Amino acid sequence: MQGKQPRRPGELVFNIGMTLGSLYLLYSAWGISGFEALSAPGTVPMVTTAIMVICGALILWETLQKPKVTGERLDRDILPLPVIVTILMVLAYALALKPLGFLPTSFVFLTVMIRYLAGGSVIRAALLALLIVALVYGIFRLVFTVLMPPGIVPEGEILAFVRNLLSGKGN
Amino acid sequence: MDILTWLLVPIVNLDLLALIAVGTFAGIYVGAIPGLSVTMAVSILISFTFSWDVYPALALMIGIYMGGVYGGSRTAILLNIPGAPSAIATALDGYPMAQKGLAGEAIGIVTVVSFIGGFIGIFALAAFAPTISDFAIRFQPRDYMMLGMLGILLVGSLSGGSLVKGIFAGAFGIAIGAVGMDPLTFTERFTFDIPAMRQGVSFIAVMIGMFGISEGLMQLHTIKATAVKQKIGRIIPSWASVRRHLPLGAQTSAIGTVIGALPGTGGDIAALMAYDHARRVTKNPEVPFGKGAIQGLVAPETANNAAVGGAFIPMLTLGIPGDAVTAIMIGALFIHGLNPGPLLMTSQPDMFWFIVSALGIANCFMLIFGLTGIRFFVKVVEMPRTVLLPVILLLSIVGAYAVNNSLSDVYWMLGFGVFGYFLRLYGYPLAPVILGVIMSRLLDDNWRRAIISDREELDRLFMGILSSPLSLALFTAVVLIFVSKTPLWGLIFRKKG
Repeated sequence: MQGKQPRRPGELVFNIGMTLGSLYLLYSAWGISGFEALSAPGTVPMVTTAIMVICGALILWETLQKPKVTGERLDRDILPLPVIVTILMVLAYALALKPLGFLPTSFVFLTVMIRYLAGGSVIRAALLALLIVALVYGIFRLVFTVLMPPGIVPEGEILAFVRNLLSGKGN
Repeated sequence: MDILTWLLVPIVNLDLLALIAVGTFAGIYVGAIPGLSVTMAVSILISFTFSWDVYPALALMIGIYMGGVYGGSRTAILLNIPGAPSAIATALDGYPMAQKGLAGEAIGIVTVVSFIGGFIGIFALAAFAPTISDFAIRFQPRDYMMLGMLGILLVGSLSGGSLVKGIFAGAFGIAIGAVGMDPLTFTERFTFDIPAMRQGVSFIAVMIGMFGISEGLMQLHTIKATAVKQKIGRIIPSWASVRRHLPLGAQTSAIGTVIGALPGTGGDIAALMAYDHARRVTKNPEVPFGKGAIQGLVAPETANNAAVGGAFIPMLTLGIPGDAVTAIMIGALFIHGLNPGPLLMTSQPDMFWFIVSALGIANCFMLIFGLTGIRFFVKVVEMPRTVLLPVILLLSIVGAYAVNNSLSDVYWMLGFGVFGYFLRLYGYPLAPVILGVIMSRLLDDNWRRAIISDREELDRLFMGILSSPLSLALFTAVVLIFVSKTPLWGLIFRKKG
């Protein structure tokens, strides 16, 4: 069913984790309603997690049969630094979104990410970030009226001021 | 004569015509931008159009729907990120074409065949609505259940890798879809006593994580490599090329219309089934499937656009939504004092023919905007990846947040993004996870309905399957697809050979 591709770094640990995770989910599914009835709320979860356990075991067995790949390293080919930095940056964005608000968080996120990935000057990265944030804000906040956390920016007051200006009421 | 008058309403009324045009244009970009979904846009539009007359409200929503289904294909081709679930199959061959510098050709053919598929679906809606809805209402709960299984098996088998990994991914998706309170008994499932998990996991957060974040993380491996510019050559496909794929397009449009007409099954399943059909009937493709076969674009794109017309059939004739967007549209019709269902066809036929006409006009606008705006659109992907990638990440985060204005959806998205990244690295297909999440509720509800109606007896359920031609056909299809991907199939054929 599967070609004998070599085993990548971390693949065995990942597949062991998948099988153990599936076993835990099966145990959790059994805890929903046990074998109460075929129409019980836990039946479909039990069947699906049982399928996961069986497939997980088959995948694990196949993984064990595979030869180790040569020339690949976990820190270079599976979890290189840019991947770790990006995951941490997205996590930091989520943590800062509520207290700081959409505009400053997005601006800092984009500036740091563009500077980190593209190199070049911080000013260039900041200008690009400013342009992109303005565009995204326009699409989400103004066109689709998606409410983003305002945080430290008095967004409501600024929008009201702009609306008044556009309607000729001044301030 | 009356029908002609009703059909002309959105054509002669310039306001309505403009609203359909604006809706279609916006829909293409909404469908294409990762993190923005047509469902989300249409649900937000309901609050905008609450005080409008029903015709303008429907005109705008129909435009968004038609444009959005098509728009999802663009990012599938250019970025390998399907803008909508119905474009998952399009990415399988569209992105490899773009990598070969054939993005213009891919988008051009997709636009034309989407137009053709769209019209076939609309024609079916106008001509065969009562007949197709009769067929759809014959489905028993067990048939819906098997249809769901069929969809997951299909997407698992067409991923091209290991079927075991495909089935694992599908089962995992179903388990994710089960998280939260059971809607029938209010029993907690997979909540681990965490209050926030009682409301379940947002499908959109899972989709954005799996396709947006994980793709972004994968691209980091080659971020320093010189970005391959997506060359846009000839956009308008030659008539010979279109004509060559018309027979396949007609078949897959028919599949799309029928699947779209089945309640609960929308363009996503239609596209995947059509793709699988194309793989089976195309004997010697010039380019293998998964490597940039044009048939791999024609099939899903005709089917998902044909499914739009199909999805309106059960909505307008039975009051049952064909997919998520038509479910929201039913809500919009209720808001405007209309009652979709069999009575709508007899008491307000003008409404039915207005929708048919508006869909047709939106389809024409889709062709115009689709063939003229590609170069502008492609500028987005010509941005350096070092800039584009943070933008994709930002759009993904904002899109996940916008689903429920909830940060927990952002954490779900990140979690599924990282998980999806490892799944990709170790050869697991992602599409079955998404399909599993979508189909989870349908499978669970219909399994329970089926087994309750058979008095909790498995043997009665199997007898029911064997005695119904429809159920038997679906059951046979499920078994055949499963067996065809196992070594057993090879053994049978070797013995026969």
